[in-house]
Amino acid sequence: MSATVEGRCPFGFGGDSDSTSVMTPSQNLGTQAMAPAALPATESAARVPYPVADWVDPAALISDPYPTYERLRREAPVAWVPALKKFLVTSYAGCHAVELDQEIFSANVSGATMNRALGAQPMLRKDDPDHAADRAAINPVLRPKNIKEAWAPVFERNARMYLDVLEEKGPGQADLNRDYAAPVASQNLIDLLGLKDVRVEQMRRWSHDFIAGAGNVLDDQAIWDRCEASRAELDAILDELIPFYQQHPNASMTSALANSGLPFDNVAANVKLTISGGMNEPQHMVTNIVWALSRHTEQLDKVLHDDALWPAVFDETVRWLSPIGMYPRETTQETTLGGVRLPAGAGIGVVVASANRDVDHFGPTAGEFDIFRPKTSHLAFGSGVHLCAGHWAAKTSIGQIAVPLAYQRFPGLRTDETRPETWDGWVFRGITSLPVTWN
Amino acid sequence: MAKISFHHSDGNVDVLDVDPGTSLMRAAVTNGVDGIVGECGGQAMCATCHVYVRPEYLDALPEIGEDEEEMLECTAGPRDETRSRLGCQITVGDGLEQIEVDVPDDQI
Repeated sequence: MSATVEGRCPFGFGGDSDSTSVMTPSQNLGTQAMAPAALPATESAARVPYPVADWVDPAALISDPYPTYERLRREAPVAWVPALKKFLVTSYAGCHAVELDQEIFSANVSGATMNRALGAQPMLRKDDPDHAADRAAINPVLRPKNIKEAWAPVFERNARMYLDVLEEKGPGQADLNRDYAAPVASQNLIDLLGLKDVRVEQMRRWSHDFIAGAGNVLDDQAIWDRCEASRAELDAILDELIPFYQQHPNASMTSALANSGLPFDNVAANVKLTISGGMNEPQHMVTNIVWALSRHTEQLDKVLHDDALWPAVFDETVRWLSPIGMYPRETTQETTLGGVRLPAGAGIGVVVASANRDVDHFGPTAGEFDIFRPKTSHLAFGSGVHLCAGHWAAKTSIGQIAVPLAYQRFPGLRTDETRPETWDGWVFRGITSLPVTWN
Repeated sequence: MAKISFHHSDGNVDVLDVDPGTSLMRAAVTNGVDGIVGECGGQAMCATCHVYVRPEYLDALPEIGEDEEEMLECTAGPRDETRSRLGCQITVGDGLEQIEVDVPDDQI
């Protein structure tokens, strides 16, 4: 028997494993009905029964999606939702099964507004092997060793810089989102991408414009115009930056893409994808963690006495309050999921925020925040080949640096109940204003 | 067909017959083998398909690549200096018609 080697990973994850996922047939379909007239386009001729959740209300999802998710999981974990013109998959087993099979559940969805918003098809909307060629270029930048050695010091510098801003605002005025989470996430992304001379406000505007474009299903011309203007600004920068990094490579993502041999449009689309998906989520994780710990002070006390618990805090928060609630897939052929027959060409919403509270996977306490729960795989970063490329970067920059440093700097840091907080969204969900105070 | 045996710490064994060219991770995830997560789908971006290869099969394996080496430093279960590998980097067939591995208790 050979000796074991202690892992030297910068990320202190450990604990029990539970990867079991058993497909459960849909049952107790209180709202099951025959398919209505609003069938997916390719199946308009057929009349086939599948659960229809006509009660799902987008406004209710935006205000608080979790009651809707709970009812969907209970009544119809794979259901056609007329208001969204999609099948929503809300069980862990269903979401996991979709992610395992990119041949049947393609990421290359039709009418992808994201492709128009970003000017070309980014890797997130490709399947392998096309996806793999793009993804391979950035993976080395985002593996744990490069994150720790090249980027952790930068993430720490950025966090400390904006802790000063928070302190200037003071415990009666500070907004954790506006004064800390947003600028830290923005500056971290500017640095990780290697974008020179870009200000945090500019990065935030680009990110918001690209996200608005990617979600512009109503074809609002004003949104396309803003998106196009931001794209032009960024393309002008990349026109100079790509040749520069080909001559002077560094540890940044744009440098890696510039030296990957991929064509300009490809590189530019993936930089824009990173800007769209690499800012709001880490930003929301800063505020989500402080919000969750402010409501679970016994757990907070334990964390403040044991730094080794920070990775569990991040992991449990991203499960319980997942910043990315849903992402799309499309069936390439007729298939069956969770006992429900899906036609070819069906739009699928993979609702990972719901899967992450599924009692069939996490047990009866799935709806509770508990950093001490047995380690169980969740889907907050997705799963399979599209697993969030930045997951190590997020765990480091937010879970191990930005949040712990804030608690270190401000004893008694907590949400300020005397000033209102605001939440928004369900596809992407986060806190848009979080007043905080401290002792 | 090639044969993969996943030995669990409770004594249970999952034996799979799979097509040549299949990775240990893909075989395990497709067939619901407990204890193999395979979170990143085989890109060596996570370390959740960690296995301990039984000694008699070690000589038939490809060298550990740079990416795999880095991720083996991030396994949840302790790394074994000779037997630890990522299941996504080992493909059966072509000189490896059979392999037996022990599944760690922890993957995340």
